[in-house]
Amino acid sequence: MSKAVLRLDHVSRLFGMTVALADMSIALHPGEVHAIVGENGAGKSTMIKIMTGIHQPSGGTIFVDGEPRQISGPQAAREAGIAAIYQEPMVFPDLDVTENIFISDTSAGLWVRPAEQRKRAKALIERIGMTLDPDRIASGLTLAEQQAVEIARSLSQDVRVLIMDEPTASLSAHEASQLRKIATTLAGQGVAVVYISHRLEEIFEISDRVTVIRDGAHISTKPISDVTSDGMIAEMVGREVGNYFAKAAGTVTDKTVLEVRDLTLEGVFEDICFDLHAGEVLCMAGLVGARRTDVALSLFGVTPATSGTIRYQDKEVSFTTPRQAIDAGIAYVSEDRRKLGLAMPMPIKSNISLATLDEFLSPRGLLDRERETSVAHQYRERLNIRTDSVETPVGMLSGGNQQKVMLAKWLNMKPDLLIFDEPTRGIDIGAKAEVHDLIRDFVAQGGAALVISSDLPEVLAMGDRILVMREGRQMGILDTGDATQETVMSMATGQLEQAV
Amino acid sequence: MKKLTGITAAAVLLGSTGFAAAADGAVSLESGKDIDMVLLPKFLGILVFDQANEGAQEAHAELGNPGELLFVGPTPENSTAGQIEIMTTSATQGQGAVMLSNNAGDQISPSALAAQKAGTKVVTWDSPIPSGEGEDVFVAQVDFGSIGVVMADMAHSILDGAGEMAVLSATPDASNQNAWIASMKEVLESDEKYADITLVDVVYGDDQAEVSYNRALALVDQHPDLGVIMSPTTVGIQAAAKAMQDEGLCEQVRVSGLGLPSEMASYTMNGCAPEFALWDFRDLGYLTYYTAYGLASGQLTGELGETFTAGRMGDYTIEQDPGREGSKRILMGPFTVYNAENVEAAAK
Amino acid sequence: MLNRISPQTLRILALLAVLALVLLFFSTQVPNYLNGRLFNRISSSVAIMAIVACAQTLVILTRNIDLSIGSTLGFVAFATGSLITNNPDLGPALLLIYSICLGACFGVVNGALVAYASIPSIIVTLATMALFRSALVEYSDAKSITTGNLPTWLVDFPNYKVLTFGSYQLRASFLLAVVVVIIVHIALTRLRAARKIYAVGSNPEAAEMAGINSKRVVLTAFVLSGALAGLAGFMFLARFGTITVVAGLGFELKSVAASVVGGVNIFGGSGSVIGAFIGAVLVDLIDMSLVRWQLVSEFWREAVLGALILLSVAADATLMRRLVAWRVAREKARTQRSTQS
Repeated sequence: MSKAVLRLDHVSRLFGMTVALADMSIALHPGEVHAIVGENGAGKSTMIKIMTGIHQPSGGTIFVDGEPRQISGPQAAREAGIAAIYQEPMVFPDLDVTENIFISDTSAGLWVRPAEQRKRAKALIERIGMTLDPDRIASGLTLAEQQAVEIARSLSQDVRVLIMDEPTASLSAHEASQLRKIATTLAGQGVAVVYISHRLEEIFEISDRVTVIRDGAHISTKPISDVTSDGMIAEMVGREVGNYFAKAAGTVTDKTVLEVRDLTLEGVFEDICFDLHAGEVLCMAGLVGARRTDVALSLFGVTPATSGTIRYQDKEVSFTTPRQAIDAGIAYVSEDRRKLGLAMPMPIKSNISLATLDEFLSPRGLLDRERETSVAHQYRERLNIRTDSVETPVGMLSGGNQQKVMLAKWLNMKPDLLIFDEPTRGIDIGAKAEVHDLIRDFVAQGGAALVISSDLPEVLAMGDRILVMREGRQMGILDTGDATQETVMSMATGQLEQAV
Repeated sequence: MKKLTGITAAAVLLGSTGFAAAADGAVSLESGKDIDMVLLPKFLGILVFDQANEGAQEAHAELGNPGELLFVGPTPENSTAGQIEIMTTSATQGQGAVMLSNNAGDQISPSALAAQKAGTKVVTWDSPIPSGEGEDVFVAQVDFGSIGVVMADMAHSILDGAGEMAVLSATPDASNQNAWIASMKEVLESDEKYADITLVDVVYGDDQAEVSYNRALALVDQHPDLGVIMSPTTVGIQAAAKAMQDEGLCEQVRVSGLGLPSEMASYTMNGCAPEFALWDFRDLGYLTYYTAYGLASGQLTGELGETFTAGRMGDYTIEQDPGREGSKRILMGPFTVYNAENVEAAAK
Repeated sequence: MLNRISPQTLRILALLAVLALVLLFFSTQVPNYLNGRLFNRISSSVAIMAIVACAQTLVILTRNIDLSIGSTLGFVAFATGSLITNNPDLGPALLLIYSICLGACFGVVNGALVAYASIPSIIVTLATMALFRSALVEYSDAKSITTGNLPTWLVDFPNYKVLTFGSYQLRASFLLAVVVVIIVHIALTRLRAARKIYAVGSNPEAAEMAGINSKRVVLTAFVLSGALAGLAGFMFLARFGTITVVAGLGFELKSVAASVVGGVNIFGGSGSVIGAFIGAVLVDLIDMSLVRWQLVSEFWREAVLGALILLSVAADATLMRRLVAWRVAREKARTQRSTQS
């Protein structure tokens, strides 16, 4: 253990009452590619943020070169030789490649020597095996090139631990292989590379050791040769699945509400095919970067698909704006409540009436406030929104209650098809169960629901069927009765594909 | 407006019995009445307004008013809104009178009317409310018509009777400036004496040094035969004089108009601005105070034809304002024309 | 060839083209237009605005804005005038240092509030714009600085003719402005520390992650900008001689206009002071030319000026977008060729 360049020892991190990292121990050695795998929410990003000084641990110790060390901020992390690159690269779009690489260069000298810097930039880029014009402006670079710039920047600062967080999630196959090559090259030069990815085949291709984490704790660390993908998945999912999600009796009817065939949005997803019936809940499962939300947005008319057909209520449709989809009776409850869903400073009642304002207009064209209030009261009762008054600004409610307001807003539209993106993310168990009941109620009354969720127990409990996606491809559709967490995970990580 | 005058008329009947207002004698104001008053300039930080304040303070002391005389005004970038706000506040505070140099055009009328309703007298000075709405009386520095004559005369003397003249004004919507320019145009057209003087252009320098400076130079560029730039604003006249001096154009183009002796002395002495005119702002403040005090204490009724004695300055009469129908004014006059002989003494 | 030129340089070339177009247009409209006199007029009138635009650019680059710059300039002009009036024997160097330091002090107030109290700059400087102006009103005690009380070296300095070619004169004020712009330009492009100004404006999050102390960078930008505004105040005093409390009113918006016309991105991170300088010249040129253009009446001039500024920004933006799109297309074609081979 003494040769570890960076070691976390029983590190934990709390955010208020939430445990993001329970008990994390990991040691990183020079010259290795160390893969870290875990489900969404297992604590990977919190761990990275502790390593790079963005968060401070609530407990435990960090060792650098065997010495206990406090990493008080990004600057301190860099001084310790620790750097991270992310799926979304942190570049300065207005500066050129050379300037980006040497942005925080602290080497002596008041003046910039452009010629010398350009030469050094070139050398660094060559060192990671890329070709890139050092004079190009960063905003014009591809994602992979921007990541290369970031890696070159960390190299210029003598990086010893390079953390790559889902670096290939948004890259094309060619770019991804380029990036993996960089990772192995750097390890060959003695850098400890931490590689986080949902693509298991990548991990088998390049890593030396693999650590599985789950629920904020270390589960296992093994040489890659000792690991099988099934074993790894079992460890990732491994927890006991609680029975807190009561499942309602099947209400699925024969009536097809939505029929999707070969739906493709070039460069994003391809060949999505499924039917959705009245009374059915279809869950979409997958990992980050599976492009489930993109499919939903295409169905909703935000980013129209480039090919394929959508039949809705027995008519072929091609929505190009959300308005058309809404008029046809489709509602989309967004994943990002803050950005796309709710007007936080506005009262509950105004949020509920927002999508259906026409309905609240008096004959004179003014807003009928009393009707607005009474409708809001109905939903407060029906959805059990816990608040003293429907005048309360939505921003003051808890996450679960916010989600219910959002649901009320769309239910008031009386949709035939409800698309629900991560309906229970960030809300507590009790509220989760309530939201599930509401969705069940909705389909029991003849509606159809498409639910995107990364919460496997939820998917298994609530869905009548499960559509699994991976990197823009449909891996298969499972009946909930036949599905287990392991099969879903295997499909989501590309180990298993259903023959179509 | 009609209704208001009706009320004032009633007040006259009640009030006039109490005071010795002889038919042909001037009302002599009784001192010692307790009246709070506000002197409200266009904005703070300008010399002439401070001089007006000095005059008002002098009258305040002379009349032994135990009340307070406040000198409050907006900051330069907030003049219009600030004036309206101060007018409104003064009314709610129950001030006896507000003395206003209006920079808000007719926009100030609603708040001035409200102030009158609350019992506050509104006396304007320097620059009136164009419509007269909300104003009891305007204390005019000089007869607006006579400013036209004086400016025409100065141009006549500088140009030696013949030549081209251009006007550099403040802003296109400054009511006093526009009235003065109009009266000068009228004089130029109607009097044979000025037949050989042509007014070639009117431009606006926004009462800012840099804009006025550039406009003055543009005038010279556009009108090669220009002989005099007439600027009836203290900012404009000195910026124009500086511009002519900087570009060595003083021999060719002279500057005249309304200016402050302290700012203009050097240009008058070096010939760039041989003649200019102005009235005494101390006197204007003094007279305004007497008028407002008389009205607010009920000793003056504000009726047309009423005459009163304003301390050291003598007798003044409330009369019909010839420039604004239906409005009343008190005319101070006259003004002083400054030239190389008297400017240095006045600048001290 | 064209892709060797940086976008910044391209932008400046585009701007110069627009400048030439404006000159050409007005020379057909205004008699006796293109000559030494026009050059002298514009060069001496733009000198102050060029420095103010340069100061504004420094702040805009960090994704902020300084609306108090006109008030700062006015206060410094007055205070400097008052100092020299009371101490007529003070030397030029001391007086200049006084102006610059005083301006920098105002910059410290703005910068500290924006960077360390984390209040948006538009709110801070909107407040300090009124605050500094009120301070000036209070400080001036309604007195004006008058030319007569200033030493002749000060009053004569802006129009001192350094060089004369026929009717074209290179005056000290313009020369000073050009020198300042060049110095700031070199500092911004070559100084290691100056990169941080661009970094903070370009991607504040990434700057933080790269270990740049963005608070200090923002403070520095405001202080430097204040110092330059102080210098401009000194020049304002020298040029106009008579200073009242309205000095510099409206400079804040004109400087923002000049910077933006000059290609400085209002959202920070890109732009150059050379661009801002040309922007100032362009705005001044349009303004000066409109005054001399009989077709446009006094009442329409402001509106036409605004429209022309919009037009030149739009022309510039369209031009840039075309160039970038063209370049990307070429780049794509090139990479495709290289992957095929």
